[in-house]
Amino acid sequence: MTPLLEVRDVAHAFGGVRAVDGASFDVGAGSITGLIGPNGAGKSTLFNCISGFLRPRSGSVAMDGRRIDRLPPHRIARGGLVRTFQTPRALLRMTVAENVLLATPRHPGEQLGRPGREREREAQARTAELLELVGLDAHARALAGTLSGGQRKLLDLIRALMAEPRLLLLDEPMAGVSPTLRVELLHHIRDLRDRDGITLLIVEHDLDFVMGVSDRVVVMNNGRVIAHGTPDEVRGDERVVDAYLGARHEAA
Amino acid sequence: MSALASGEFWAFVGVAAGIYTILALGLQLQFGYAGLLNFGQVAFMAIGAYTMAILVVKEGWSMWLASPLAIAAAAAAGLLLGIPCLRLRADYFAIVTIAFSEIVRYVATNEQSLTGGSQGTIALGSVTQASEYNAQWESFQTRVGNWLHIGSKDVTMLLLVWATALVLLTLTWLAVRTPWGRVLRAIREDEDAAASLGKNVFAYKLQVLALGSALAGVAGLFYAWQFSFFSPDDFQPLLTFFAWMIVILGGVGRIWAVPVGAVVFGFLFAGTRFLDFEPLSSLDSAERAYVRLIVIGLVIIGLVVFRPQGILGRREEMVLE
Repeated sequence: MTPLLEVRDVAHAFGGVRAVDGASFDVGAGSITGLIGPNGAGKSTLFNCISGFLRPRSGSVAMDGRRIDRLPPHRIARGGLVRTFQTPRALLRMTVAENVLLATPRHPGEQLGRPGREREREAQARTAELLELVGLDAHARALAGTLSGGQRKLLDLIRALMAEPRLLLLDEPMAGVSPTLRVELLHHIRDLRDRDGITLLIVEHDLDFVMGVSDRVVVMNNGRVIAHGTPDEVRGDERVVDAYLGARHEAA
Repeated sequence: MSALASGEFWAFVGVAAGIYTILALGLQLQFGYAGLLNFGQVAFMAIGAYTMAILVVKEGWSMWLASPLAIAAAAAAGLLLGIPCLRLRADYFAIVTIAFSEIVRYVATNEQSLTGGSQGTIALGSVTQASEYNAQWESFQTRVGNWLHIGSKDVTMLLLVWATALVLLTLTWLAVRTPWGRVLRAIREDEDAAASLGKNVFAYKLQVLALGSALAGVAGLFYAWQFSFFSPDDFQPLLTFFAWMIVILGGVGRIWAVPVGAVVFGFLFAGTRFLDFEPLSSLDSAERAYVRLIVIGLVIIGLVVFRPQGILGRREEMVLE
């Protein structure tokens, strides 16, 4: 598999704290890659470096072989790398449908003075489809601020899909999600790859979920990638066991 | 008091409300839609008024040519302020805009050779040349008045201001209903989320800052025409805060709330001149002029407590988190 995303020696520090300290890994086109690690391992910072919300101090990030680590977030998103956030970022005082419509790519109507009516009709049809997919169609006209936490998670996901990503970065998709919704989300995430051919990079704390859904798993600790491979390879890796259980080993 | 209560007086109040509408419409677009905190709106009004007056008096331009250029100058000032400052966090941007508006006022006060300094536009021309910048406007106003068979100049002005305000309100209303307006509201709600979906947040903020400044420029033109004389003192920060009161009174994020807020504010402001009854009669009229500021302050406080969404706002939007 050719890598769609190449992360090379990326480092980022906050003050003196090296949150990410030379991380490297690839994400193969058409794969589901899980990014795991204990709290404070640097996963979120790395995520922000990849999606352009933070500029890496050193190292490079490339998509399709082209450097993206100096681009602003909106350019990266337009290039097909779309992210979600740990806590869903619903636009509260806009309707659920508007939240999704907003993500329409290449919309001429978003320029002042251009109507873009045809594109808007297409976007509305696609929005209706996506809302139905996750069962939010009944809420289309409600303000997004009235949705429950779980519904916002679903809204975040379809909004990202509306942006037509080739690579979707999911930041803790299972955090704060009820057990029933977990099953539904898992199903959607598998579908994204199998049916829509979207490559996925997922940061998640829920190890069972990551091991179950991922083709490849990247493990971080103290800002570095300490292991990567198939879920089975990673599960047996001593450094991974140490990273997760280290504290307990030492305490014992 | 009877003289004040004449139709002429109320027409004057209506003109002021129309000018405030145009000024506050810029803020509504910036704050109510894109979430930009601009506390320096009056500066762009000053730039519009001064650019027109200077071009007409000093350069001998036609008012019809100087006016669009004055609006463009206000918009350009918005861009100039926005390019370095819009990347600041919202609260820092707000501080910069206050400073900017005071800088503009101080420059106008001290650059005597350019603006006439603290004496105002009277000092724009030479001793021999009357510093009249609005002769063309006056004759236009008279022609419109004759054509419509309106005897009163004030009523003609009232019509012209409000016709302009209605056109600008309608254009803005149409603009914010498009996908362009949707992006603005998304930026107001969460600019990181908007950026993560491919929207160039900075470019939109810059557009909105320039458009709002252009609207302030239009307000500045009408202000200049209405008074046929102005000085830097007319552009105190207080005027920006009047515009803010109008936006809050009317309702944030609603275009048609702006004229409603402006009319309510205008009549409150003027109406409180008539607070000439016991025990207020014991105060002289200058002191009563301050009483009206207290009254308006109380109205705003009451509004925030009992109707935080403003007159036309939607309450359900205030309780979401």
